[in-house]
Amino acid sequence: MSAETVQAIIDDLGALLLFTMILIVAASQISRAIYAVAAQSFLIAIAGAVLATATGNVDLWVIAGVTLVVKATLLPWVLHWVVRRMNVRREVEPVIPVAATLALAVAVVVMSFHLSASLGTVRQAITGNALPVGIALTLSGVLVMATRKTALTQMVGLFASENGIFFTAMAVTQGMPLIIEIGVILDVILAALVMTIMVLRVRSTVDADIADLDRLKG
Amino acid sequence: MAETLLWVLPLVPSVTALAMLTTRKRRILSGLDVGGSAVLFALTLVLAREVAAGGPRSIGVFRIDDLGLVFLLLLVVLTLTVSIYTVGWLRQAVAVGNMKAESLRSYFALVHAFVATMVVTVLADNLGVLWIAMEGTTITSAVLIGYHGHRHGLEAAWKYIIVTTIGISFGLFGTVLVYAAAADVMGSAGTMSWSAIMQVAPTLDPGIVRIGFIFVMIGYGTKAGLAPMHLWLPDAHSQAPTPVSALLSGVLIKCALLAIIRFQTIAAAACGPAFAEEVLLVFGLISVVVATPFILVQRDLKRLLGYHSVEHVGIVALGLGFGGAVGTYGALLHVVNHGITKALAFFAAGTAIARYGSRDMRAIRGLAAVAPIGATLLMLAALSLAGTPPFSIFVSELMVLRAGIGHGHWVAIAIFLVMVVVIFAGLLHHAGAMVFGEPRGAGRRTEAWSPLLAMLLLAAIMVLMGLTIPASFDGILRRATEVVVG
Repeated sequence: MSAETVQAIIDDLGALLLFTMILIVAASQISRAIYAVAAQSFLIAIAGAVLATATGNVDLWVIAGVTLVVKATLLPWVLHWVVRRMNVRREVEPVIPVAATLALAVAVVVMSFHLSASLGTVRQAITGNALPVGIALTLSGVLVMATRKTALTQMVGLFASENGIFFTAMAVTQGMPLIIEIGVILDVILAALVMTIMVLRVRSTVDADIADLDRLKG
Repeated sequence: MAETLLWVLPLVPSVTALAMLTTRKRRILSGLDVGGSAVLFALTLVLAREVAAGGPRSIGVFRIDDLGLVFLLLLVVLTLTVSIYTVGWLRQAVAVGNMKAESLRSYFALVHAFVATMVVTVLADNLGVLWIAMEGTTITSAVLIGYHGHRHGLEAAWKYIIVTTIGISFGLFGTVLVYAAAADVMGSAGTMSWSAIMQVAPTLDPGIVRIGFIFVMIGYGTKAGLAPMHLWLPDAHSQAPTPVSALLSGVLIKCALLAIIRFQTIAAAACGPAFAEEVLLVFGLISVVVATPFILVQRDLKRLLGYHSVEHVGIVALGLGFGGAVGTYGALLHVVNHGITKALAFFAAGTAIARYGSRDMRAIRGLAAVAPIGATLLMLAALSLAGTPPFSIFVSELMVLRAGIGHGHWVAIAIFLVMVVVIFAGLLHHAGAMVFGEPRGAGRRTEAWSPLLAMLLLAAIMVLMGLTIPASFDGILRRATEVVVG
C-alpha cells in the first residue's frame, strides 16, 4: 500500500471512530454505549491491521489481535454480564443534559484538530489525522466519565479514552514497543476487574449503587 | 552487584507478598511484614553506597541515579516504619473489629504488592514501564482504601480509582507524544528510555513536547494530588486504614512527583526551562491556595492531614517552578521532609483516633493527659508541618522561598507567604485543641510499644533533618539537583 492510501484509510477510520464516540456520548441506555465502545475497539483493531500491513511491523498484528480479543470482545462481554447480573434498571444518569455533553464533545473535537494543526512539522511523526482524533477520543472519554453518575457508564468512558490513546500510539510512525502496549492492556484489564468487583461489592455490602455514594464532602 | 540489586529490589516486596498468602496467623504475618521491609531497607542502603561510589547504574528497563535514590530512600524508610507501626495498630484494630482476623493475609499481601509497584515506578527508566507501574499502584491501593468495606470507604475507593485512572490516561497520552517526538529524531532505534531520550532531548520538536508535558503534568499531577485534580485525595487519605494513609501521603504522591520531574527535565531540554517551570508554578500556587480554606474549617482529623498534603505537594511544585539549583534542592528536600513528617502525623493521628473512637477533632480533647508520649509526638508533627523552626519542613520551605526571591517571583512569594501563615495558625489551633484541655471520652491506657517505636524513629529523623542534613545525604541531594537542573 502506498503511504497516501494508508493515510486515507486511517483518516476514514478516524472519522468512524469519532462517530462511535458520538454514539457513546449520546447513548441513553447503558447497553447501547457498551455496543458502541465495542464497535470502536473493533475499528481500532482494523486500524492496527492496516498499519501492520503497510509498515510490515509484526508487533502491530499482535496488538491488533489483542485489541480484538480483549477490548472488542472480552471487556464488553463482562460489562453486559454485570448489567444482567445487577439487573440494572438505572441507565446512564447524566449530571448535565446529554445535549450539553454533546455540545461539549463537539467543542473538544474542534479544539483537538485546531491544536494539532498548530503543530506543523511534527505531524510527520504520526500518520494522518491520528493525533487530533486520538486527542478528541481521549478527552471525550474523560468527558463521559466526568458527566455520568453510574459506574458502568464511567467504565465505558474509560475504555473509549484508552482507545484514543491506542489509536495515536499505533499511528506513531515507528510504532510503540510491543511489551509496553501489552503491559498497558494488562493494566486496563486489571483496572476493569477491580472496578467490576467494587461495583458488585457496593451492591452486596451496602445495598446501593455507586451513583448513590455521595456523602464524602468538604 | 548494583545491577543485580536493581531487579532484586522490586522482587523483595513481591516475594514477601506471595509468602504472606501462605499463612493466616497474625504474628507470622507481622513478622513477614517487618522482615520483608527490613530486607528492602538494607538492600537499598547497599545500593545507595554503590551509586555514591560508581554513579548511576542501569539494567534493562531499570535505572538508578541520585534523583531516584532520594525517592527510593524515602520509600524504604517509610515502608519499614509503617511495618513496625502496623504490628501494634493491627492488634488494636482486630480487637475492636475494624479489621477481620481471617482476611488479614490479603491486606498484608496487597500492601506489599503496592510497595512493589511503587519501587518499580522509582526505578523505571523506560517511560512506558513507569506508566504501567503507576497504574499498578492505583489498582493495588484502590482495594486497600476500600478495605474496611463500609459505605464511605467504598465511596472513597471508587472516586480514587476513577479520578486517578482518568488522570493517568492523560499521562499515557503525554508519554506517547514525547515518544513520538523522540522516535521522529532517533529513527527506527527509537526507545522509550528516559536516559536515551535525554541524550537527544535538545533536538526534540518543542511543539509536541510542550503538549506532551501538559498532558503528563495533568496526568501524573492527578496522582500527585495537585489542585484542581486533587479531588480524590482527602477522601482516600481519610478513609484508608492508617498505615495505608501514611504510604499514600508519604510515598505514593511523591512517586508521581518523580514522574513529573523526569518529564520536566525532558521538557526543559527541548523547549527551555522557562515553560516547564511556569506550568509547575501555576499548579503549585493553585494547590497551596485551594488547600488553605479546607484546612481551616476541617473537623475530620485525617481529612485535615489529606488537605495538608495538597498544600505541601503544591510547595514542592513551587520549588521546582522557581527552579535553579536552590529551588530544585529545596523541592527535593521538601519531598523527603514532608514524607517523613506526614507519616509521623498520620501515625500519631491514627493512635489518637483509635483511643477516642472518632476522627472528629471536636471529640478528641486532652490527649496530653491520657497519652503523654503520643500527644507530644502529635504536637511535634503539627509544629513541623506548620513550618516551625527548628524542624525539617522549616528548612526546606525557607529554601523554596529563597529560590523564589532569587528569581524575583514576588507575586507568587506573597501568595505563598500569606497561605503559609494562615495554615500555620489554623493547624496549631486544631492541634492545640486536641492535645491540651480536659480529657473526655478516653481513659488512660498504656500506649502500645510498636507504634511508639515507629513514631520515635520518624521523629528522630525529622529533628535531625531540621538541625543538620547529614553529609552523605546532602551529597545525594546535590547530585540529584544536578540531574534535574543539568
